Amino acid sequence: MTTTVSIFRFGSCEKCFDETLLLPTDSSYAVDRVDDPAVWAATDIDVAVVTGYLLPSDKPTIEAIKEHAGQVIAFGTCATSGGIFGLASAKGTEIVPLPEEITGAVEVSGCLGDWFELHEAIQGTVSKGKKLCEACKRKSTCKFLSEVVRQLEPGAGEDEACFNDRGFACSGYVARQCKEKCIDQFTPCRACRPLVDHPGIHMLSMFGTLMANVEVGTEATGGIAGTDKLADGPDDVTRSVPDVSGLFFRFSLPVEMPVGKVPSSGNILSDVFAGRPIEELPLIAGMLGGRSAVSMQLDIIEAYEQDMGIEVPGAVKDYRASLREAEGQLRAAVESADAAAYGAATELIRKIAGNMNLSRVFFGGFKAEIPDAGSFDEYKAKIIEIKAGTYQAGGVAYTLDGEGKVTEFTWSVN
Amino acid sequence: MSENESKKRNVVVFACNECGQGAMNTAGVARIGYDTAIKIVPLQCSGQANPVLILEALKDGADAVGVVGCCIGACHFVNGNMLSMHRIKLMKKLFKELGYSDQQINHYTARAAEGETAVGDFEDIMVRLKRAEKEGNTLPGGW
Repeated sequence: MTTTVSIFRFGSCEKCFDETLLLPTDSSYAVDRVDDPAVWAATDIDVAVVTGYLLPSDKPTIEAIKEHAGQVIAFGTCATSGGIFGLASAKGTEIVPLPEEITGAVEVSGCLGDWFELHEAIQGTVSKGKKLCEACKRKSTCKFLSEVVRQLEPGAGEDEACFNDRGFACSGYVARQCKEKCIDQFTPCRACRPLVDHPGIHMLSMFGTLMANVEVGTEATGGIAGTDKLADGPDDVTRSVPDVSGLFFRFSLPVEMPVGKVPSSGNILSDVFAGRPIEELPLIAGMLGGRSAVSMQLDIIEAYEQDMGIEVPGAVKDYRASLREAEGQLRAAVESADAAAYGAATELIRKIAGNMNLSRVFFGGFKAEIPDAGSFDEYKAKIIEIKAGTYQAGGVAYTLDGEGKVTEFTWSVN
Repeated sequence: MSENESKKRNVVVFACNECGQGAMNTAGVARIGYDTAIKIVPLQCSGQANPVLILEALKDGADAVGVVGCCIGACHFVNGNMLSMHRIKLMKKLFKELGYSDQQINHYTARAAEGETAVGDFEDIMVRLKRAEKEGNTLPGGW
């Protein structure tokens, strides 16, 4: 008996929707891909796979899906918890995590979602996977930190030391292992696959504790108390972590905190980028850029490199050109729904950029070694200086403040 | 009395078993009055005042949360008070990043032998809460 599966594409970067092209075609289920769920001709189906983030306006469609599907699967972290687009909830955008609307929905989280886990979920077996720290080659001591760093020099030794031990915040403590495994690309985890409920506040708690030896401001209580209290002004703690919501709550803001009151720019993508520090932009672009992730990420990087005079070796330029070429192949494959071509394009992107989040790509080069490439020193990424200003390249333009945080961001698809 | 003054509030105060609760007991013995909104939750150490607990309290209806521990350098569990301060500082920054007031949560210290130190902390909590309410910037609760 054939299992009928409908895959819905809600608002998002579309990467998870595209990744479902890799589902086995010789299996015993028939797949229907729904590009525009709002106009879906509702019919009874065995399994509904929901990809992308949901807005309140999507609730009628979700109701229809709930009514007609035997089982609903939330595929990708946008569907399970709002995902990276959920950061826009700080600026007033209400994002609706699917499990809040449909009790009993199966959650297959991950940014990018793993098509094989989806395949397992459709067949009724869901594997939770190892804790990330168990799968990580680095060893943690959990010693108190005197300093927090925003960047680390790639390949500078100490590859066995936990990022957190080095003052480089990694949310691996509250995450499960995933297919993309950013930590293998010298990129700390941001917990797209949470191990616990409320991963953000748990990680804030953990990292706040680790920061014990970082100077925290106190002041006299005044009045009749005559003791000390925590001060309100900026101190080394707040300066060390310029973006608390983006660092600890990158994929879970809508499920952990109320909708924020910061004025919106009117564009969800701009709202997601606003407030994020420059060193996090390449990874964020790799995660939410979808079919244009390579272009968006490289435009962000090249805009800053050009203005800051960062030298880019020829080998890096060649790899970047290959990535842009692979992105073109990926777009063509998706448009023609050619699973084999899609698989080939993603394999090439994974080989150069490390994974589909492009975690290996950074300013000046790459953060980890590319298989079968020459000496790492020839294409190694660089630590960047923070400088306020407006930067523009390709379809991307953004403005940074003195802390290196984005104040404005615009993007137009090339 | 203005609406802001007469409003009934719920304020959760996590107090450590040493100086925090000690000062509050001393205040009681000395019959020093304080706002009836204050609801004391005893902990062994203020370092146990996990942000998860603080957020849950706010979500479940607390108007403000205070944590009272030992004086700086006098924590009976080495540095629990300082650990809590670091975490609450990050929470304050989070609240501000979302456009809310950071005055609904804070960490204080007290001296067990001086009841007025705890009562002074309570007064500061109430002043801050009323300020945040006046600005219309408090967390909505029940989100």
